Amino acid sequence: MDFTENEEHVALRVAVAAICDDFGAEYYQSHAESRTPTTELWRALGDHGYIGINLPEQYGGGGAGLVELTMVCQESAARGTPLLLLLVSSAISGEVIATYGTQSQRERWLPKLASGESKIVFAITEPSAGSNTHRLSTFAHRVGDRDSWSISGEKYYISGVDEADAILVVARTSPPNEKARLSLFIVDSDAPGLSKIPLPVSVTLPERQFTLHFDNVKVSADRLVGTEGDGFKQVFQGLNPERITGAGLCVGIGRYCLERAAQYANVRVVWDTPIGAHQGVSHALAKAKIEVELAALMTTKAAWLHDNHLPAGEAANMAKYAAAEAALSAIDAAIQTHGGNGLATEYGLVPYWGLARLLRIAPVNREMILNFVAQHSLGLPRSY
Amino acid sequence: MKIAVCVKQIPDPAAPAKMDANYNLARDTKLIMDESDSYGVEMALQLVDKAGAGEVVLFSMAPGEEVSGLRNALAMGAHRAVLISDPRLAGSDALSTAKVLAKAIGRESFDLVLAATESSDGYTGTTPVQIAELLDLPSVTFAKGIEVKGESLIVARQTEAGFDEIEVPTPALVTVTAGVVEPRYPNFKGIMAAKSKPVEKLSIDDLAFSPDSVGASGARETITSIRPAESRGAGTVVVDEGDGFAKIIEYLESLKVI
Repeated sequence: MDFTENEEHVALRVAVAAICDDFGAEYYQSHAESRTPTTELWRALGDHGYIGINLPEQYGGGGAGLVELTMVCQESAARGTPLLLLLVSSAISGEVIATYGTQSQRERWLPKLASGESKIVFAITEPSAGSNTHRLSTFAHRVGDRDSWSISGEKYYISGVDEADAILVVARTSPPNEKARLSLFIVDSDAPGLSKIPLPVSVTLPERQFTLHFDNVKVSADRLVGTEGDGFKQVFQGLNPERITGAGLCVGIGRYCLERAAQYANVRVVWDTPIGAHQGVSHALAKAKIEVELAALMTTKAAWLHDNHLPAGEAANMAKYAAAEAALSAIDAAIQTHGGNGLATEYGLVPYWGLARLLRIAPVNREMILNFVAQHSLGLPRSY
Repeated sequence: MKIAVCVKQIPDPAAPAKMDANYNLARDTKLIMDESDSYGVEMALQLVDKAGAGEVVLFSMAPGEEVSGLRNALAMGAHRAVLISDPRLAGSDALSTAKVLAKAIGRESFDLVLAATESSDGYTGTTPVQIAELLDLPSVTFAKGIEVKGESLIVARQTEAGFDEIEVPTPALVTVTAGVVEPRYPNFKGIMAAKSKPVEKLSIDDLAFSPDSVGASGARETITSIRPAESRGAGTVVVDEGDGFAKIIEYLESLKVI
């Protein structure tokens, strides 16, 4: 057993932090307030090989794994510049295409994902299905000489469509009256028949949410990723990485907020001593620190399990649960430490609350994780 | 183009400095690359890139076979490193350090030797020119830019008034002013490649020094006492009651700045 981080991992963290510091937390906060993408930071990290760190080397990636991608998520968030789309473009789309894509699909899409030049976002959630993937109704059927597909249906809460060149779409390829068999398609984000309607949310984030309407969107056969009907299993190749990187993002947010709060509590004097000396302030921060670091351990374990091709579902779920809860404790304690300043735009804390709050719901919500742990870890009867 | 770059590995300046009983900086903690050397590394990489071929070789003298600072420069793109590490070098002064580095560098031939103008821990600013003297090289200090012109270098040397353009034949030693180039961040491929780049480790025996000519026993300088720098005054707080600008102007006028 060895918990020491190796030299390369330390160097990776230092480099990612330095690149993010060139932009600074204010850069993220102002982009979150104005809801504009943090493209410059994405490209800078891409230029240095950190966006596609988990993708295979022969397609321009770093040839590393989820452990390293999770470090990128953690470290960028810990500098106050979290990148939500790492969960989607690098973790899900990248992993799915690298694992199940054909040679020509990998050659076509992965180098641009790795360099940060383009993004592929992920569309699974539907208004009538929610967390119940078996109920997906977006339907793809073969058309023409069976050499192309037509997709119809609706997706919502799809992040970053405005920043993406393409969308990895999960669609049912079995008739509606049969058990759902799912398949994955890469759809251009400007495909005819696809309408993208912004879905306003009140949390402030640089990444926008969209509702997508697919009205007989035609894609050629080479846009089917992996095996027809095998989409459920294939999606899971990407969902664990999404949960693990989501946990990494939360750990980073937690660390950033606690660092800010500790700085403030060390200098803010209201009576005779800095407010950090008051246990009403310090204990809430210390408790959140413990929660964040415990979540970090489970996150690293889950990433390691995934990279070693061991079952990672339980650890990924636990990490995602613990990290989102810890991030929320951290940001809440940080805001409370700042008093009125905690809500001031100038202090920039509230956008992190919005992101942490989103991450308690997505990519898998807290309750679904508790269901999973109750049923699979404890052997309790299933709830749904 | 073959360039040697002197890289000092120093205790993290962000951590409080510790002194040993002889008033030497304790170097038993983890060491990092002196930031002021990152400019020389960057300049060397740019010159080799521009030349189309060549090699950037790092030279460092550090205790405990410390290589983490060197790995950082290797991750930036330097090709290999030479580390001189020997317990008998403890207590070396600037001249001893220059002798050791000069001897290690002198084993090969380089077109250019680069160093920072001074280190961020010792601040003597004397080691590079001593290396030049020992290697019998011409030296130019405070460079803000270097261009290759045939067998010579055109060095823009910073002065108080601006800069001088100095032509110097190669091989030469040039010291690089901090901040004149933007040191690149290591990319992930660089970090992974740095792992397998060669780091040659030398002792003073490998360089044929007698133990009494270097280290504490060879040092010509001794530090007789140290005292803390005077702490800065608290400064003046200008309370703005609508006339803040007038008070600031008054203050600047008193300094004869405006």
